[in-house]
Amino acid sequence: MTFPQRFDLIVLGAGPAGGRAALTAAAAGLTVILIDEQSAAGGQVWRKPRAERVPARTDGQHGEGLRAALDASDVTLALGRRVWSVTEGFRVDSLGPEGSMSCVADHLIVATGAHERVIPFPGWTMPGVMGLAAATILLKSESRLPGKRVVVAGRGPLMAQVAAGILAKGGRVVAVVDQMRLTGWLGALPALATQPRLLAQGGGWMGRVLASRTPWLFNHRVVEARGADRVSEIVVTSASGDRRALSCDALVIGDGLVPGTEVPRLLSARMWFDRLHGGWIPELTADFETSVPGLFCVGDGAGIRGALQAGTSGELAALAVARQLGRKTEPARLARLRRAFARASCFSDAVAAMLSGQTADVARIGPDTIVCRCEDVSRSEIDAAMAEGIRDINQIKHVTRCGMGPCQGRMCGDTVQELVALGSRRSREEVGAWTGRPPLRPVPLGDLVGSFDYGDIPVPEPAPL
Amino acid sequence: MSARYDLCVVGGGIHGCTVALFAARGGMTVVLVERGSLCREASGVNAGTLTMQMTRVALIPYALEAHAMWASAATWLGHDVGVVVCDGLSLAFTQAEAELLSYRAGKRREAGAPIDLVDAKAARLVEPGLGPGVMLAGHCKIDGFANAYLTGLAYRRALIEAGVTILEETAATAVQRVQGCFEVDTTGAPVKAARLVIAGGVWIESMLGWLGVTVPIKVLVNQLAVTERQRPVMRTVIGIASGLLSLKQYPHGTTVIGGGWQARGDRERGGYELLPDRLVGNVRLACHAIPALKEARLARAWAGLEAETRDALPAVGPVPGVPDAYVCGSVHSGYTSGPYLARLLAERILGREPAMPLFPIDRLLDPFERAA
Amino acid sequence: MQETDTSIELVLDGQPIRVSAHGSVAGALLEAGVAWLRSSPRAHGPRGAFCFMGVCQECAIVIDGRRQQACLVTPRAGMTIERGGVR
Ligand SMILES: Cc1cc2nc3c(=O)[nH]c(=O)nc-3n(C[C@H](O)[C@H](O)[C@H](O)COP(=O)(O)OP(=O)(O)OC[C@H]3O[C@@H](n4cnc5c(N)ncnc54)[C@H](O)[C@@H]3O)c2cc1C
Ligand code: FES
Repeated sequence: MTFPQRFDLIVLGAGPAGGRAALTAAAAGLTVILIDEQSAAGGQVWRKPRAERVPARTDGQHGEGLRAALDASDVTLALGRRVWSVTEGFRVDSLGPEGSMSCVADHLIVATGAHERVIPFPGWTMPGVMGLAAATILLKSESRLPGKRVVVAGRGPLMAQVAAGILAKGGRVVAVVDQMRLTGWLGALPALATQPRLLAQGGGWMGRVLASRTPWLFNHRVVEARGADRVSEIVVTSASGDRRALSCDALVIGDGLVPGTEVPRLLSARMWFDRLHGGWIPELTADFETSVPGLFCVGDGAGIRGALQAGTSGELAALAVARQLGRKTEPARLARLRRAFARASCFSDAVAAMLSGQTADVARIGPDTIVCRCEDVSRSEIDAAMAEGIRDINQIKHVTRCGMGPCQGRMCGDTVQELVALGSRRSREEVGAWTGRPPLRPVPLGDLVGSFDYGDIPVPEPAPL
Repeated sequence: MSARYDLCVVGGGIHGCTVALFAARGGMTVVLVERGSLCREASGVNAGTLTMQMTRVALIPYALEAHAMWASAATWLGHDVGVVVCDGLSLAFTQAEAELLSYRAGKRREAGAPIDLVDAKAARLVEPGLGPGVMLAGHCKIDGFANAYLTGLAYRRALIEAGVTILEETAATAVQRVQGCFEVDTTGAPVKAARLVIAGGVWIESMLGWLGVTVPIKVLVNQLAVTERQRPVMRTVIGIASGLLSLKQYPHGTTVIGGGWQARGDRERGGYELLPDRLVGNVRLACHAIPALKEARLARAWAGLEAETRDALPAVGPVPGVPDAYVCGSVHSGYTSGPYLARLLAERILGREPAMPLFPIDRLLDPFERAA
Repeated sequence: MQETDTSIELVLDGQPIRVSAHGSVAGALLEAGVAWLRSSPRAHGPRGAFCFMGVCQECAIVIDGRRQQACLVTPRAGMTIERGGVR
């Protein structure tokens, strides 16, 4: 293994939060390395589009701007690298095309974003069913449609963005199946109006969808996806129980996002349950420092707040690191950033509130519905374990294998914790979360071991005979 | 106040659960006090290897009995822990390892373990998945593994059927002896019992302290890793001469890689951090032994705590100076041998003569205390 | 949008298939009408790419002889892809 390289700061994740953090720290004179699994900076929201010179789309411009600024900066870019281990001190180990790399720094900013929350329903494992965030990636960075006849479903503004994106590419949206009532949207308007530019963008998407005469089914939800090897039909129901089937070849569905908190959990940072902002997140200071000194969490991984606040949180954390390393930072700049962050909360909390209320949806999951996709564990198996008196979330995992598969519990974790809380009449705080363990993502053993001589393996002393 | 039990067992790992089970089947009223859930510490997170080739020589006769118990778990435990009985190989890739293997296998053989030394060709007939470079192998037909994470559920069902009162999510905090009876303070209601078994894994040191007995217990922080599911690439339990590799593929396709490489951890925080260089080292040994493992991906790694006494032999027997108090734990490769040793102790508690000697802890008391 | 669409040939389960070369293998196959990537190991249910961001692992198939996530790999001419999953 190569000798660890030392930096002032390691930033994990090159989205809006991590990118801003790295740029800010480098501008303050710190040595910074920015590591991301994607081959280009931008994260999920500012994914590098298929052809970078896409005519003015605000999102793309941000991504372009970030990529250009990083290229021009002193930030060491380590892209296309999968981080698999983060340990005390901080040491970060990653694997990439050029093999393994480890680097160390006293300060670590984690900006690893969030992943999709989809509440299980029969058929959600069928090919052709995918997440809303997945669809934005397909549309933006691959310039591809999820299917020829797409149903867009779930909750929140991402539905409007995806439906509008599909239409803009000449695709067909069969319907938008919206869990919210129209009045829910209208009620959120005053809060959303605090960010006029974002509201106008969202309103534009929705307007384009409605103008295309695409049916927008408010207060409806998907109850089943059917098909043989690919979804061919979905069943939706209104709140009053009217069911109907919609024929389609893709279903794009999302119930919000779950913060990616593997790194703070690995490092035993104190966590708390914040339902509004997506679930378990680290306890943070005003500078986004966790209970582990030198460890910062920013962006959606510190609670779902969107790209605007992600950038601000990244800049604030980087300035705090610079200060801790003896660099001077302008108090006026800090004050301005903190104000901007607080101001933006009005909007992001209103969006977050639209994505909440899933407890009832989780309670409704049918006994035969698969909850853990990797290991095909159904709700009834989890309920059966609880009926035997098992309440410990890690023990539930042991007896059902739920969460033991390669996604490492990311897709089912939140749902299972909610089910256990419901089943044992305890709060999510009492139920807790699965223990965080390496590797952060599955890594091929072949890549992990690299080429080596048997004699060089540092085998410890044998146990006593 | 609450009922008085014949026996209170503190700690619901493999040792505590087994003592409780056989004591209850022997007619005693038993309460089991467990801080978390049954078999969620060492006994639920261990590698599940049921092998003679990593067992301490002095424990071989016990481990052979215990292996037979595991192999017939369906009859005495009554619930599935996924036991697979198969061949085991301990490999030597260098001259030094070959010497170590010959010596160690010889000693274990003398103690009764049916280990044969075989060459690479013979080893490959036993395990076609072996990589190149094997110089010598110890072959034992009595080997195998269990699905350790199923232990808690299996024991839970058996204990309930045997009428044991299980108090989970209840930590014992202190013990007093009042009028010939033990009063165990817990984070729930106090528990009264005529007899006490301390079976708290790496935590027995402080539990013995409640009784005024000092026995230092070292904490090993063993690292384990598991691959995602993969096509069948091996069919035996594989180790190496030094003992620092244990490897087997489960019927559902995942392979557990262990061998006792140390992670960071302690009694307070558990095994809280895995060290990347040691993970890579352990995985390199595994891939050297079974190269097809390189095709798979590493899904998860974790660490658990194992107790070790000064002489690395068990602490199973009466607590000196405290009538009716017993300790059960600190058994090397304790998942393999634990059930048998714990059953022997249960025999003793039931007033019968155990079939093999126990491992009383008098030898471990510090000399000053022993004199007093 | 100015897009130079180079179409390339991959080998999917031993059969040639033409896809457009950009983006990910999972996206290219989906566009070519291939949604099914593997069977789940326990219930043997049909599965396809679900998250497109490297998290869900539904797209882990054998690409050029190694298990890789099809949503994270760029298609290249001649690439061999074996669907189906474990066993
Ligand atoms: C990672 C690892 C791999 C291993 N691999 C193997 C293997 O492959 N083969 C093998 O034979 N052996 C193996 N071992 C060894 C084996 O797991 C142990 O020897 C055995 O499980 C110990 O059992 P125990 O009951 O003594 O301890 P534990 O299983 O640790 O049980 C002790 C129990 O006491 C409870 N407790 C603690 N404090 C309190 C309190 N105050 N009140 C109430 N309850 C309390 C704990 O919660 C715990 O449940 C391994 C060990 C580890 C850690
Ligand atoms: S589609 Fe989820 S990991 Fe590739």
